[in-house]
Amino acid sequence: MSRRPPRGEYIETDTGNKVARKATLVGTQNIILGGKTVIQPEVMIRGDLVRSVQSASAASSSGASANNTAVSIGRYCFLSRASCLRPSGRFYKGAFTYMPLRMGDHVFVGHGSVVQAASVGSHVHIGARVVVGELAIIKDYVRVLDDSIIPPNMVIPSFSIVAGQPARVIGEVPEGGHEAFELRDLYKTVGNNPHPVPT
Amino acid sequence: MAAPTSTSASSSSKRHSILPSVSQAGPKPPVQFSSSITIADSALLTGSHMIVVGSESVIHPRARLDSSGGRITIGRRCIVHERSIVGGNAATVTLSPSRGSKTSDMLLSPLPSSAGVTLADYVLVDVGAVIEAGDTVVGEGTTVGVGARVCAGAVVGKHCTLTPHTVVAAGDVVPDFTVIYSKGLRRRDLRGVPELRNKGQARQIEVLRRMIPSNPGKFSS
Repeated sequence: MSRRPPRGEYIETDTGNKVARKATLVGTQNIILGGKTVIQPEVMIRGDLVRSVQSASAASSSGASANNTAVSIGRYCFLSRASCLRPSGRFYKGAFTYMPLRMGDHVFVGHGSVVQAASVGSHVHIGARVVVGELAIIKDYVRVLDDSIIPPNMVIPSFSIVAGQPARVIGEVPEGGHEAFELRDLYKTVGNNPHPVPT
Repeated sequence: MAAPTSTSASSSSKRHSILPSVSQAGPKPPVQFSSSITIADSALLTGSHMIVVGSESVIHPRARLDSSGGRITIGRRCIVHERSIVGGNAATVTLSPSRGSKTSDMLLSPLPSSAGVTLADYVLVDVGAVIEAGDTVVGEGTTVGVGARVCAGAVVGKHCTLTPHTVVAAGDVVPDFTVIYSKGLRRRDLRGVPELRNKGQARQIEVLRRMIPSNPGKFSS
């Protein structure tokens, strides 16, 4: 994490989002970034898989952009390299439709993970190479260890530590462990003018 | 939680996607597309052998179809998700004796054109899955999960489920209705719902066809 990225690798927006130039964001008008979020290179976010029920009635999608959120990310999130966020799909009233993926604040998505959940809470740490199955629900303050495979429709309660293939709750976050989920310091170490990594 | 502001990385709200341009490295393969397929603009098709895609199949952006190891045949109503690789790694083709009479030919001769990858109808290839070339066959209605790997020469039966990050070894034969999970364990799928799953996939394809802008003309020269 102490490597110095080349100039201009990240695009920094007014709200403090740092989006790498090599990230693949499909359908950006349906992606909402909270602010101070870091998106590293090779991340793929599928914003084009939106809920299709409304688009059948609305002729143009430009006016209904507020309703057509595909992926909504909170503040201080960190999406590591090669991760993939995509909305999950389900059968709703006989038709197949995509449900929006909502992520809370301070969510860390590790290297190469694929997140296809229905919702992810705040202060969640997802390790590397994790696969979060369709329509899974992850509550707040959860730590998902590396290489876990979370099966579809699983609900992970708050303050749990999850690991395994298929993932099981193997422990609980200890009382004093809440500060470890904060990502403000990590946000400052990335970007075009990175601060040094805090010791 | 305060209402988040909607941002796209460049402040233009008209830009639809940030896709780093995919350079068409490698040879452009001959393709034979059915008229009703949906193939995204940023799909990657390389290789020298023929790529055949059956009717109503969907290829997501950034999916890679590599026919340098042999012809790729994708059946009808298949879905190939993004970042998956169909037909890669031709250099590491190693076949076990269970593949029958073709074994000695494979090892001696250079890449035969009939080899490659064959996906039957209704196959779902999930994000980041790898299906290597070399007479690999994936049977009808099978789901290849996220990051799963089907090595060269493997034959996967019908209506199987490969859960995420599972590996089918080279030359392996997976019987029909098998579920492979959790580092190689296998069990039989007794749900008995293959038709329902196929119907569900057909409905999903109807929705995807409206959502993904298709550009088959880019690949057929």
